[in-house]
Amino acid sequence: MSFRHLRAVIRKEINHILRDRTTFVLVMLVPTAMLFIMAYALTVDIKHVPIAVLDYDRSPTSRAFIQQVTEGEDLDLYAQVDSLDDIDNLLTRGEIKAALIIAPDFEHDLLSLRGIPLQIIVDGTEPKSGGFAVDHIGGRAEEFISEALASRIRALNVNVSLDSLQPIDLRVRALYNPSLKPRVDIIPGLISMVLGFPALSVALTLAHEREHGTLEQVLVTPVGRAEFLLGKMIPYIIVGLANVIIMPAIARVTFHIPFNGSFPLFFLLSAVFLFAILSMGMLVGVFMPTQPAALALSFLVIFFPGFFMTGIFFPIASMPAEMRMEAMSLPGTHYATITRGVFLPGVGLDVLWPNVLALLGMGIAFTAVAALSFRKKLG
Amino acid sequence: MSFESANEVPPIIETHALTRDFKKTRAVDSLDLSIRPGELFGLVGPDGAGKTTTLRLLAGLLNITSGSAKVAGYDLARQPEAIKRKIGYMAQQFNLYGELSVLENLSFFADLYDVEVSELRERTERLLAFAGLTEFKDRRAAQLSGGMQKKLALACTLIHQPEILLLDEPTTGVDPISRREFWDILTDLNLAGTTIVVSTPYMDEADRCLRVGLMYEGRMVVCADPQQIRARIEGELIELRPDDWQAACALIESLPGVLEVQTYGNLLHVLVDSADKRLPEIETALRKHGLTYRGVRRVTPRMEEAFISLIRRLEVD
Ligand SMILES: Nc1ncnc2c1ncn2[C@@H]1O[C@H](COP(=O)(O)OP(=O)(O)O)[C@@H](O)[C@H]1O
Ligand SMILES: [Mg+2]
Repeated sequence: MSFRHLRAVIRKEINHILRDRTTFVLVMLVPTAMLFIMAYALTVDIKHVPIAVLDYDRSPTSRAFIQQVTEGEDLDLYAQVDSLDDIDNLLTRGEIKAALIIAPDFEHDLLSLRGIPLQIIVDGTEPKSGGFAVDHIGGRAEEFISEALASRIRALNVNVSLDSLQPIDLRVRALYNPSLKPRVDIIPGLISMVLGFPALSVALTLAHEREHGTLEQVLVTPVGRAEFLLGKMIPYIIVGLANVIIMPAIARVTFHIPFNGSFPLFFLLSAVFLFAILSMGMLVGVFMPTQPAALALSFLVIFFPGFFMTGIFFPIASMPAEMRMEAMSLPGTHYATITRGVFLPGVGLDVLWPNVLALLGMGIAFTAVAALSFRKKLG
Repeated sequence: MSFESANEVPPIIETHALTRDFKKTRAVDSLDLSIRPGELFGLVGPDGAGKTTTLRLLAGLLNITSGSAKVAGYDLARQPEAIKRKIGYMAQQFNLYGELSVLENLSFFADLYDVEVSELRERTERLLAFAGLTEFKDRRAAQLSGGMQKKLALACTLIHQPEILLLDEPTTGVDPISRREFWDILTDLNLAGTTIVVSTPYMDEADRCLRVGLMYEGRMVVCADPQQIRARIEGELIELRPDDWQAACALIESLPGVLEVQTYGNLLHVLVDSADKRLPEIETALRKHGLTYRGVRRVTPRMEEAFISLIRRLEVD
């Protein structure tokens, strides 16, 4: 390994990153932009969902119930309608996302302690708002009913505590409440995903040199294969680490995500992760002859699994066994664990060491395969 | 062969039945080539003849399918890395790192070739001056003209003072003045002792070589010095400029004693068995058919006519 060769390739590549606008944007600005976009897109608080109410009962109790359901910022009473046709109309025109139908015997059934038939119609094309409306109305209905029951029972002069009447544990609903800051959980995981961009760049830069003919000129020099590949990789580790400094800062300032761990530790572990994911990108670049091919394969092996397999959006524990195995063989899975650990509970190496070892192992394995498969030949 | 009189010096490039196959094509077919130190060797032939593949094989960039070759005393199949320090190779689409300056490109290759740091400065300055790039040394390579890019590319391939230069169509797409300058540089290098193998589509450039090899469908069909190649042309050459070249061409081809008609735009080159005898006959025939023409004269055949004639005969076979 010649240090002079390595340094020459690193210097050339850094100049390329700094001076080529496309590359610069891809490795420095896109990760940050993606973090913002995805964090917002994935965690928008649902508020002011417009609903319609069809009240066949028209009793004081039903009116009180409607009042309680539409209180606050969650659901807005868009219209009180008189027929199912009206509901149909409003739903098709997208003016409401859900409709609540109160049966004619609502008050009577409630006060006589029978079951209360409530019907909710939702816009299936917007399951998120619809589901939210269902959960919300359900929750409010339970509150309303238990209160009504309690006062009815009190009116009967039976001495019971309100708690023993609670039909359902209210805390269950809390889990479904989107305003409970899911970002806290998502953002550290997202960081591991958007760091795939430097890896993509490595794959692209190698394919670019091949397409552009500069690789041919380098292959006739005495530069070693590992010198060349490492020299191309190290600059992207450096820009990746720049992102590692920027992104927790954004997470903290913009999304108010607490950072409870040690930053130096996080930085170090991020470097290890970048080594692993970039060697994966390098492997893609070694095998793919053109940039479009490199792009496609990068999406397949870096971003796509990152999305579905790293446990960011779907818990790994609920995956089938084979998928769980596959997830554990992806650098992103381990880094998601590391970022979440360091951000949230503030855990250290004593807990995270298996993930660190896994990342190191992958990095070394991928680099070795890339260096051995990379021939100083064309075609 | 006449060249073997100078056989005290062993060849610096020598191939035996060198062959390279791609999936469907045999790009280089049983090539036997022997180039002596200090030669300026031209490789010509139509597109797809195998010139690039030959040069890439010699540069160690492609695996050999069969046959063998020695370059600068090393075996091509077994010691490609040793060969790399001895040669300078300039690819057909040589692309520099466009975002790097002229100087940065040079020092990048100087580092990869382990040029002595103590010599670096002097050598860089000399190459810049040599390529006429001194005043552009801080300009980004992407912002140089085509001709200057080629000269910078040449400077980069010369940074380690290679014994052998392999140049693949170095002047294609370059303006005529830069082309001439580039060839003056090559001639200087060659006079200073560098062995040069250069492929070119331009016949006037082939004329400047010491020896020329004509490739056709992967094979070396002729390999001789330019005079010998010109001498291979059969018959004598008449040039004329008819106003309706298509009609004139058809007419002349049908006349007795005409071996071949080559067109260069509206200029016709007519190969005949005897110019003295056929020139009046051609003029008579043209006048009889009412075809006007200008500038009719006898000319000496150039490399161009010789090659086109040779290739036509190969295509007929
Ligand atoms: N990498 C390659 N893959 C497949 N075929 C190739 C490749 N390179 C060259 N060829 C084929 O080999 C033949 C010779 O090509 P080349 O050496 O480029 O010719 P030239 O340089 O004389 O134009 C052509 O038929 C070409 O299509
Ligand atoms: Mg070619």
